[in-house]
Amino acid sequence: MNLFLAGIGFILLGGIFSLFRPDSSKGKTLVFFTGMGTLCILRQSIPILLGAVTDRIVLFFHPPIGPIPLILDPLAAFFVTVITLVSFLGTIYSIGYLRPYAGQKGYSLSSHYFLLSLFMASMLLVPVVQNALAFLFIWELMSLFSFLLILFEQKKSEVLEAGLNYLIAMQIGVMFLTIGFISIALKSHSWNFASFAEVFKADRSWSNGIFLVFFVGFGIKAGFVPFHTWLPKAHPAAPSHISAMMSGVMIKTGIYGILRMITFFPDPSLAVGYGVLFIAVASGILGVIYAIAEHDLKKLLAYHSVENIGIIGMGIGLGLLGLSYHNPLLAIFGFAGGILHVWNHALFKGLLFFGAGAVFQKTHQRNMELLGGLGKRMPYTAFFFLIGSLAICGLPLFNGFISEFLIFISLLNGFRSHQPFLSAVSVLSMGAMATIGALALLCFTKAFGVVFLGKPRQPIAIGETSEGTPSMLLPMGILGFFCLGLGVLPQLIFSILRYPLAPLARSADFSVMADLEKTLSHLAFVLCLLAGLTVIIYGVRSLCLKKSLIQKHRTWDCGYPATTTRMQYTAASYAAPFLSLAEFLVNRTSHKIKPEELFPQKASYQSHHRDIFESYVFTPAGAAIRGFLGLFRGIQSGNIQQYILYGLIFLVGVLIWTIGVIP
Amino acid sequence: MIVHLFFLLVLPCLFIGVINRVKSLCAGRQGPPVIQPFFDIGRLFHKGQVISSTTSFIFQIAPSVNLATIVLAGLLIPVGPCPAILGFNGDFILFAYLLALGRFFSLLAAMDTGNSFEGMGASREATFSVWVEPAFFILLGTLAFISDQTSFGGIFVALQHYNPWSNLIITLGLVALFILILVEGCRMPVDDPNTHLELTMIHEVMVLDHSGPDLGLILSASAMKMVVLGLLIADLLIPSGLPGWLTLLATGGALFFIAVVIGLLESSMARLRMVHVPQFILVATSIGLLILSIAIFSQGGPG
Repeated sequence: MNLFLAGIGFILLGGIFSLFRPDSSKGKTLVFFTGMGTLCILRQSIPILLGAVTDRIVLFFHPPIGPIPLILDPLAAFFVTVITLVSFLGTIYSIGYLRPYAGQKGYSLSSHYFLLSLFMASMLLVPVVQNALAFLFIWELMSLFSFLLILFEQKKSEVLEAGLNYLIAMQIGVMFLTIGFISIALKSHSWNFASFAEVFKADRSWSNGIFLVFFVGFGIKAGFVPFHTWLPKAHPAAPSHISAMMSGVMIKTGIYGILRMITFFPDPSLAVGYGVLFIAVASGILGVIYAIAEHDLKKLLAYHSVENIGIIGMGIGLGLLGLSYHNPLLAIFGFAGGILHVWNHALFKGLLFFGAGAVFQKTHQRNMELLGGLGKRMPYTAFFFLIGSLAICGLPLFNGFISEFLIFISLLNGFRSHQPFLSAVSVLSMGAMATIGALALLCFTKAFGVVFLGKPRQPIAIGETSEGTPSMLLPMGILGFFCLGLGVLPQLIFSILRYPLAPLARSADFSVMADLEKTLSHLAFVLCLLAGLTVIIYGVRSLCLKKSLIQKHRTWDCGYPATTTRMQYTAASYAAPFLSLAEFLVNRTSHKIKPEELFPQKASYQSHHRDIFESYVFTPAGAAIRGFLGLFRGIQSGNIQQYILYGLIFLVGVLIWTIGVIP
Repeated sequence: MIVHLFFLLVLPCLFIGVINRVKSLCAGRQGPPVIQPFFDIGRLFHKGQVISSTTSFIFQIAPSVNLATIVLAGLLIPVGPCPAILGFNGDFILFAYLLALGRFFSLLAAMDTGNSFEGMGASREATFSVWVEPAFFILLGTLAFISDQTSFGGIFVALQHYNPWSNLIITLGLVALFILILVEGCRMPVDDPNTHLELTMIHEVMVLDHSGPDLGLILSASAMKMVVLGLLIADLLIPSGLPGWLTLLATGGALFFIAVVIGLLESSMARLRMVHVPQFILVATSIGLLILSIAIFSQGGPG
């Protein structure tokens, strides 16, 4: 535990030291200190993840807080490892990403780096704090620091709006958590997590209800549908390394919370399992459909976070069903797929946000319809983005496939359970999972194809060096390497998942895993064969071409060469055939000016999509609340004397009440 | 191993040859010899290549990746009496994802040319695959549920011994798989492989800019894909327990029969309007769900 705390100390020190450095070297200072911190933390967390003894330290406080245990158990270590890794890479990335802002008026790098270190420290503490009050405190700090980090470009009104939207969403979430923790504490008379298991065990229906309260509270942070609307606003508004950290790891603290509650939850009812599964499937499908409708690169990635949280949630839902049906295979594979996807999503979503940030930095453009052909100008970024795209689509050879495969295996065990209802739900979930995969493929061929392939759709003013700086490429390279590594060596996951899984799946019996280990090593063999075969076929093809003539020529274009690069297929038209079928979900509106007369001068077509939850739930709800509060606007006159009068009235009221109550 | 190589390397060209021959006969022509596709593809490998200057490396690796995925997918499927070379528990998941990987690269290669015709084809292919994938998984998932097996080999053997409902389930499964072949192979009524209008194409328009060996790889891959899916039908259709040579013969016969049916279909049907294609694919999904209901209500799962 000492190393872990020392690591956090290093990170905080880095934040403090960077305050006193010139703008140009603030980032490097923080990278140096977070590097040391990351080493310390990994040195502590990895052995625990792989089975070393759980480490703990207890800070003693007087009641009502009580003792605060900091416990680094395998589940916490699982989250701490990925949080520290992605955050560290995010700080490296920020050196290059924030360079254009250095010394500019209106952007404060000092506060940004200082807050960044605080944000990292708070995220790292969330999984280890096991006292409800301290947990809520750290949780709030994490939300607050990330809110302040989003506001880096606070001059822009949409950034401020997105930040406030995020803060409000987080406050609603924390309200649920507070209700949950207080209800438990009323029964257990302690804020300590260790006492929770007793309370959950005592009353079955109550514990199911309270779990749902926690699920909503943590689900708002994680971004489950319908609580996802803050994500597509906050991620584009934040600087890209912050988006990567928020989407890659911060929303996973919501998943951590749900998992931690599950460890206390002895006997989940079927309704809870099916409910979680249903919400997860809805998140997966709706998230990716909105991503397809979205042509802002970072918003698209934000909606994909909703999709991937859905996939994680499917794993968790199946795990819960496994617990209820007492089907250990279903539980183990469901939880294994879900938590492995936590890592995987952190790796490839970090990579994709870094890539999107590099594109934004060079082109100052997030609208895909105006981009294109960047693969030639930014070959490394394009290559890493391609790896991220392959991984997020869950395609073989990359890590996303392995976790989706585990969830499929869990589903297969689901319908071999001889429970008709579970079987039907499993087969349907399988269809849903396949739909999510196919939709993600549509979405990322759109994103990668439109942004990086073809020709630029408008002249891009790219600076002297068109590729991102090494400090931006290095983190992408490292994440890409991990994506590929976990994808071709799936056997590794056993040692990683074994210990964090034990408290979730309640089963120390891992003999069932041995069977899967065989399957996975077979899978690894097939995947290597795939890579080998591709190389061989490509080699043969190149040999055939050796003697022949290879000509470079412009695209044939069926004999009608396009007069402008704007005539390439656009993201909107690429997505249109699908979206026209899902129109009722994406709330499509279009404005068009039709070409008229013999020689039409003007024609245009615009289409917009809106999130149905945003337009039918949250906007009306917000308007209703504002309308209600507007009733009281009259008492806000701005007149100081009037406010003093209110104070006086209040005091007189209190006086009368006291006299009335106390005889 | 040899049988697999024969079925994956030799049969695809014959398969296409048979389809073309049947179509010619229906049109009152004699048509090219059945082995013509060998010559067509062979010739492409001796030709040079024209590469669009807009494209990147993706355009050049995509055909190789695509072919590799389909060869591997083929090795996951048992051929008649010979068990799958690479089969394992859950192999049908990998099968679908391999096809998706090939598709991913084909779509990107199409986008790589910056040609809006190719973009259109890619968009259609991606959209239709959104309907194909769940259909495939619901169908295979249901069969896996019924047979209590999770690999192609296991599913097909166990299905034969299931119960009185087997025949109904197998028949329905055949129809659904046949629809999937038509969609994945880009044949009528989903896509017209012989059309001359780019606006109505799906698969053909995506490969407009490929030439030489790359085009050869693409053509062999799409032929092989049809045979691989045809093998699934054959495995489902042919009862187990026959002597090996007979099963092998029956597998070949089944593929021949599928090719003839596809040829006849293409001679007698018009292409569906693009907006109706998803409905056509949903038929396969519905059949999958129907099988699932039969299985659940007939006995509540495997006994």
